[in-house]
Amino acid sequence: MKAEQQIPRNALVWIVISLFTLVLPHAARLPAWVLGVYGIAALWRVMVYRGRWSFPRWPVKLTLVLAAFAGVLLSFRSLIGLEPTVALLLIAFAFKLLELAERKDAYVLLFLGYFVILTEFLFSQDLLIVLLCLLNVILVTTALVALHRPGEDRFSMQPFSKASVMVLQAAPLMLVLFFLFPRIGPLWTVPIKSQQATTGMSEFMKPGDVSQLSRSGEVAFRVAFEGDIPPQSQLYWRGLVMSRLRQGTWSALNYYDVPASERRPQEPVTAGPAPLRYSIIMEPTQQRWLYSLRYARSNDPGILSAPDYRLVRPVVIEDDFLYRVSSWPDAALENTLSDWRRLTELALPQGSNPRARQLARSIAAGAETPADIVAGVLALFTEQPFVYTLQPPLLPEDNPMDAFLFDTRRGFCEHYASAFVIMMRAAGVPARVVAGYQGGEVNPVNRTVIVHQFDAHAWAEVWLEGRGWVRVDPTAAVSPERIELGLEQALASEGSFLADSPLSPLRYRRIDLINKLRLRYDALTYRWQSWVVGFNADTQMQLLQQWFGEFNARKFALLILGSWALVLIPVGLSLLVRRRTHEVRKLDRLYLKFCDKLEKMGVAREPGEAPAAYAARARRALPRLAAQITAITTLYQQLAYADTEQAALDKFAAAVRNLN
Amino acid sequence: MTGAAEVGIAARARGRFQRWVDRRIPPARAVTLNQRRIFIFPNKAGLFFILCLLVMLLAAINFQNNLSYGLTFLLFTLFIIAILHTYANLSGLTIRAVHATPAFPGQQTEFELQLERSRRRDHIGLRLQWPGSAPVTASIVDEGALRLQLHLPTGRTRGWYYPGRLQVESSYPLGLLRCWSWIDLDLPALVYPQPLASPDLPGLSAETPDGAAVAVEGSDDFYGFRDYRQGDSLRQIYWKGLARGQNLQVKHYAAYADHSVWLDWEMFPGLGVEQRLSHLCYWALRFDAQGDEYGLRLPDITLPPDCGERHREEVLRALALHGKPGAQR
Repeated sequence: MKAEQQIPRNALVWIVISLFTLVLPHAARLPAWVLGVYGIAALWRVMVYRGRWSFPRWPVKLTLVLAAFAGVLLSFRSLIGLEPTVALLLIAFAFKLLELAERKDAYVLLFLGYFVILTEFLFSQDLLIVLLCLLNVILVTTALVALHRPGEDRFSMQPFSKASVMVLQAAPLMLVLFFLFPRIGPLWTVPIKSQQATTGMSEFMKPGDVSQLSRSGEVAFRVAFEGDIPPQSQLYWRGLVMSRLRQGTWSALNYYDVPASERRPQEPVTAGPAPLRYSIIMEPTQQRWLYSLRYARSNDPGILSAPDYRLVRPVVIEDDFLYRVSSWPDAALENTLSDWRRLTELALPQGSNPRARQLARSIAAGAETPADIVAGVLALFTEQPFVYTLQPPLLPEDNPMDAFLFDTRRGFCEHYASAFVIMMRAAGVPARVVAGYQGGEVNPVNRTVIVHQFDAHAWAEVWLEGRGWVRVDPTAAVSPERIELGLEQALASEGSFLADSPLSPLRYRRIDLINKLRLRYDALTYRWQSWVVGFNADTQMQLLQQWFGEFNARKFALLILGSWALVLIPVGLSLLVRRRTHEVRKLDRLYLKFCDKLEKMGVAREPGEAPAAYAARARRALPRLAAQITAITTLYQQLAYADTEQAALDKFAAAVRNLN
Repeated sequence: MTGAAEVGIAARARGRFQRWVDRRIPPARAVTLNQRRIFIFPNKAGLFFILCLLVMLLAAINFQNNLSYGLTFLLFTLFIIAILHTYANLSGLTIRAVHATPAFPGQQTEFELQLERSRRRDHIGLRLQWPGSAPVTASIVDEGALRLQLHLPTGRTRGWYYPGRLQVESSYPLGLLRCWSWIDLDLPALVYPQPLASPDLPGLSAETPDGAAVAVEGSDDFYGFRDYRQGDSLRQIYWKGLARGQNLQVKHYAAYADHSVWLDWEMFPGLGVEQRLSHLCYWALRFDAQGDEYGLRLPDITLPPDCGERHREEVLRALALHGKPGAQR
């Protein structure tokens, strides 16, 4: 191997450092054994460096590669999809370390490192993760710089500062490209994150599901209102409308369950006063539905309205997703109910929960209007000793609502919503369960509403003649605090709020400093999401027109060139400003000047010629200057071999200057 | 037919390119690299890097992922910035020709170069190479100048040997771009004639009486001091005196020469020029090894009998440059 191809020790150190920081953000998604592979690979390479072990031979390598494939197949049950691919990529990255003998191996390894950083963004676009990734870019670049400092055998920070400077200089150019580069649609379909668990609400709801979700302190979405924020009790974020009950499980209707003639929502006759306008940034759910307040419309491309007045997106939400909504909370929805819809919203499974239905029919018998039936059932929840709890007892498989209404009487919102809707349907009032979130935390920093997973909620809608679909929240009858003040207050006595997340900053909201920091960070996240993550072709065009007016190719080119010149010229100047030849001692510089002068007169100094010999030759050639040449040469010799005093140096300088 | 034509075109193109380079970077004893003299282009790793960026851009487009776009653009602009940094690493570097050691044909000659840094910048990962020689790597960090020795086999013919253009290159800091220059340092090495043994030396003539004391460097009897002259052996410099602030002096040793000899061009009648020179060279070396005094008589130059390192070099130089233009260098 050629000496210049060798990997300096310092580069090896930086490569191993970046190897570990690269895998760090991926760690939570990877099986533990992959991290083990990393440790062993690093140890092996260090032992090779120390000369204790040798590089693996090909049978070993082949075995390792096959074992890696088998391991990924076992862990993910598939080799296709983003997660197994990324796991393979990371393992390949660790293995490449075992082949790291020459500079060209290091190139492959480090470019692979840049790729690993990119894959991280496909999973998370969180601000902290992005900062970590930026550090990773600097570290990989550092390793690249260290690779080209031959013979650097001691750990040195210099490559790091060089790489940091370069990345910082590149950043403004990158921003220009980021905002100007035309955004085009996908060229072909890419593997989706098959392994990623769906988060938040599920399509199906059994008693106990929402209470599970309410244990999480994660953010579901953030909302920015254009005007005032409506009161907490009005913030019912509808996500799913569940009209179908099968085997004790509520579910939403699929697109094809709805007859073709009813697939478009009925427009309300009067929408009411000016709508609420707001934009929502959702965290990825791997689902298709969006959250919105009642009677929502969105003009954003790719958002559809379902017949039950929900917003849906045909494409699964895999990344943070921003959409704008207008809502008319007072609009009357579906004034005329079709026969199909009435049948659907009244359907109950045969023979289930007989006691509940019996009770519903008895309440209906004593009521004059459907509204009285609603009031009667809600009164039941208020008067009987029902308890609102995050830890409801388990219900039997058969007739669970009977058991809830007559035996346990302890439940979370989905128990009350489910029982209420079953009783309404039994009494002949069209009703359905609505799942979504209720309330939200107002962030005073930027006036956004943060909706957490623990705000998950289920309530009911009943159809009343002349009023259309009306929201009824049975939970409010049991625990008014839940609606007015939120889950934490409602469960204050139980102490079960976020019991599973001891480290969540939400638990420490009482500590002022932590809370302030949390809200500040959340505001920053919102800003980040709306500017960077939510940036797309539309916002790009909007922004460019806002800044530069009508946009065309010429302006585009001018903008890129102009802004790049703004950065590249100062950087170039700072690097390249013409410097005087080289750093020679002043004395030597003066002597060289003397030689130059003589050379012009026809006596060039030969390489390595001693000053005395040169002087002798020059005296012969230029007898007229003999005295001066001798004086200068003598002075030079004295100064060169004795201490240099400033006065003597000045005298020497003058002598050289005066030589003519 | 076409093959010959192609070769002709290639040769013409090479010749034209060579003339262009000669005009652009004329020969000089010291060359400071600047924008006229530096060339820069992505190397293999750089092209591979660009390929990787294209794949990353595809990923960003297909996943519609803004941060992937951002990363791809950051790496691309890093590449652009690297052009400036790579260029700056070579810019301002001065390469000064110091010395070339004479050699016999086919032997390795040593070229000594001095690299001098620009005022504010280190020069890292430099690679210097003459066509046909092994590359030498060097870095100038925190020091003003650096001396380098490059070894190169000389040509087969006597006279001045020009090694061609020295290639100076570097790909620091990222290794994605190759930045290089071809410089002509105007530093020829002297190639002596090939020594060729002849059975005996016809017409030996002794002019000095045997037993005279002759100053011979390299012998072991101390004789006295004298002022330093160029070509004196470093081993004989009187360093202690220098340390006391005296002039540069060398210790002078004496030996007693047995006899002195004239090596004469006319000793080998009927032989060709090169053969005569080779024989003369052989005998000069032989007398030198024996410590004898010898003189040289060529048609255009006469060197009186003497001995020692300096004398030997003068004689060999005269032999090497006999009949060559530019012998006065």
